[in-house]
Amino acid sequence: MALQIKNGIVVDPKNGISGEKMDIFIKDGKIVEEVKKNCRVIDATGKLVVAGGIDLHAHIAGCKINTGRAMRPEEMRFVRRKSNGLRAAVGRTLLTSPAIGYEYAKMGYTTAVDPATPSLYVIHTHEELDSIPIIDKATLPLFGNWHQVMRYSADKDIEKLKSFVAWVLERTKGYGVKLVNPGGVEAWMYGGNVHTLDDAVPGFGVTPREIITSLIAAVEELNLPHSAHIHCNNLGMPGNYETTMETIKLAKGFENRDRQVLHVTHVQFNAYTGSSWRDIGSGAEEIAKLVNRIESVTIDMGQPIFGHATTMTADCPWQFELHKLAKAKWCNRDIELETGGGIVPYVYRAKNAVNSVQWATGLELGLLVDADKIAISTDYPNGGPFNSYPYIATLLMSKKFRDEEMKKAHPYIEKATSLPSIDAERTIEDIVKMTRVTPARVLGMKNKGHLGTGADGDVAVYDINPMDYNSSNFQAILKALKNPLYTIKSGEIVVKDGDVVSEVWGRTYWVDVRDKTTTELIERDLEEYFNYYTVNRENYGVEERWLQNPLRVMAG
Amino acid sequence: MASKPVAGYGGVIILLVMKPRVDFEVNVEAEITPELAAKPFEEIKQFKVYYGNRLVPLEELFEIEKKGDDEILILEGDFSRVKWIGKSMEKGEVVIKGDIGAHCGAFMKGGKITVEGNADDWLGAEMEGGEIAVRGNTGNLVACPYWGNLKGMKGGRITVYGNAGNYIGEKMCGGEIEIRGDAGDFVGTEMKDGKITIHGNCGYVGGDMKGGEIFIGGSFEVVPAFIKTDDGFIGDVNVKGKGKVKALK
Repeated sequence: MALQIKNGIVVDPKNGISGEKMDIFIKDGKIVEEVKKNCRVIDATGKLVVAGGIDLHAHIAGCKINTGRAMRPEEMRFVRRKSNGLRAAVGRTLLTSPAIGYEYAKMGYTTAVDPATPSLYVIHTHEELDSIPIIDKATLPLFGNWHQVMRYSADKDIEKLKSFVAWVLERTKGYGVKLVNPGGVEAWMYGGNVHTLDDAVPGFGVTPREIITSLIAAVEELNLPHSAHIHCNNLGMPGNYETTMETIKLAKGFENRDRQVLHVTHVQFNAYTGSSWRDIGSGAEEIAKLVNRIESVTIDMGQPIFGHATTMTADCPWQFELHKLAKAKWCNRDIELETGGGIVPYVYRAKNAVNSVQWATGLELGLLVDADKIAISTDYPNGGPFNSYPYIATLLMSKKFRDEEMKKAHPYIEKATSLPSIDAERTIEDIVKMTRVTPARVLGMKNKGHLGTGADGDVAVYDINPMDYNSSNFQAILKALKNPLYTIKSGEIVVKDGDVVSEVWGRTYWVDVRDKTTTELIERDLEEYFNYYTVNRENYGVEERWLQNPLRVMAG
Repeated sequence: MASKPVAGYGGVIILLVMKPRVDFEVNVEAEITPELAAKPFEEIKQFKVYYGNRLVPLEELFEIEKKGDDEILILEGDFSRVKWIGKSMEKGEVVIKGDIGAHCGAFMKGGKITVEGNADDWLGAEMEGGEIAVRGNTGNLVACPYWGNLKGMKGGRITVYGNAGNYIGEKMCGGEIEIRGDAGDFVGTEMKDGKITIHGNCGYVGGDMKGGEIFIGGSFEVVPAFIKTDDGFIGDVNVKGKGKVKALK
């Protein structure tokens, strides 16, 4: 049945609408001009109406989060929902699959992307994505430490690399290219790491710089909807902001009219000055200046939240460091010739100087970078649970709330960061950009993040008037953002008054670029590769018919 | 033994007595503390517990008798399928004149539990204070942390007059455990502080032990990562531990 959202105050920056009273019509899961009859009407008088939120970086599925769940039974004692007709949902920072779908819907989000899956275990990733209700999803396979990728990069053979990327995306039903500590995870197989962009990767004679630029070149020539998505080298280390800035500058050599050419993710973890944990500081200002200047780069925050978190990344050497620092239980894994992975439970403590600097650095980025170049994220579950996005948005919107929260943090942030001196407050339009428009553009999802005709019928209605709210009344903002009056997914009402009322099933996006290149180029290499692999080539990857609700995107 | 468990009440019996009505076919999850005994009788009868997967009022499963308003709970009969008795209790007294099921006294903060029969697994798990005495034997995992948690028993005292199973006092951070009989393997694994005394024999002791003391009357084995000293062993050197394992004198 069609749906009319009546008299809401629409904020839709992509279509130039900033707070107009208008009606939104949804029919057959899409936004349409108007529906005359047989229409269910929702009254949204004086309420904020926006597109459904998009999370472009959250580890919501795959072998990492699942190993984390097995490793942390204590997480599962936090009951979020008893079944009541739907499914039970548990988990404190590591949520079960139904809980992930419900919690996203409960804050008005309708799309999320898993940013790192080892291709060898992609079948598991898709099984899990298929168990997440409500939201649309996609997964990005890991490329940055794959032997084939490093060999082609060393040979500067972009044609073969293109062919390989296209082959992997088809086999894994992946959506884009993810790099994690390029070269570093391979070095870790020998107990080392790479520390600058020009360190040689053992055994390959290739540098992280070459891996990154080759992959960007391949992605741009294939014209994938999403650009290369990078987790920089030296993550978590004091003084790493220089590496991050150098990585960002690599994007200068490329151009794309529709989108960025490099998305640098969870930049907060890569934006520290100083030479040790004793003099760590925030490099957010410098990074923000650079990102604002370079047209072709976007970032996301990676904001840590005080409280429990579970760090999980393919960056094995960093996870080993963190395990030693935190003295926590851990797991580290080598995934054959492709990548690795590590998991360490962590608690961000407000009383801890370093944790406070991390918290402040994320917010600095959120305030200083242009709203159409940065997306809100916690790098779930690395920075904390994703359902704290309303908390982050409120911090960005209200100086008073920031001051309140800063009182809880360690006073060292006054010396090490510029957060106390920033008076800026984000508007609702900025927040809509950071949670809807920018992620949609970064991911190249043209039907998402706006409410124009033909867009997906994903809408959220919040109990706040964008033309008339008081930023110092932060409790009201937080409450409104936390409990949307309605979340609508593909024209179905899934959340009403902050609680899930029904379940729909979203789609899994994947990109097919086989027509841009040919597998013949790498046929011989693949044959040799699979001669020595644990899996036969016939058994590698997943078929489209195995997925519950796949959506094939043709690039170009 | 201990036929008059509630001593010191001047001959006037003021307590809540519960007896099972039926032989339980499935486990009962009854998170009952002595505080319940002080509530009005009607409320006690209607107190909801899980019988298998059904939520049922207490009176459907037990014969209940209330005498007075004191926080004393007497459980008569076979309670070996009744779990979580005395969970998180802070004060008062529970006397079990028979066997008791798993998780008895878990998260306990104060008060006293006396078991005249045997106790099942997870006795006093993550206990913080108070006292538990068991006249019979106990199962495994006495005073352990629940899976994934980093701290086991933090305070209080557990005395077992019979034997105990495996994994006694894992990740223990304080308090005292005394086993008058024998114990199984893995006593005081990852122990940080506190004291465990075993009068009989036991198996492996103190793996990854960081601190605290273990006294053993009978035979035992230590893992190879312990250093022998004049009066016992110190370890575990794998984790730079300073735990002491000594013979009971």
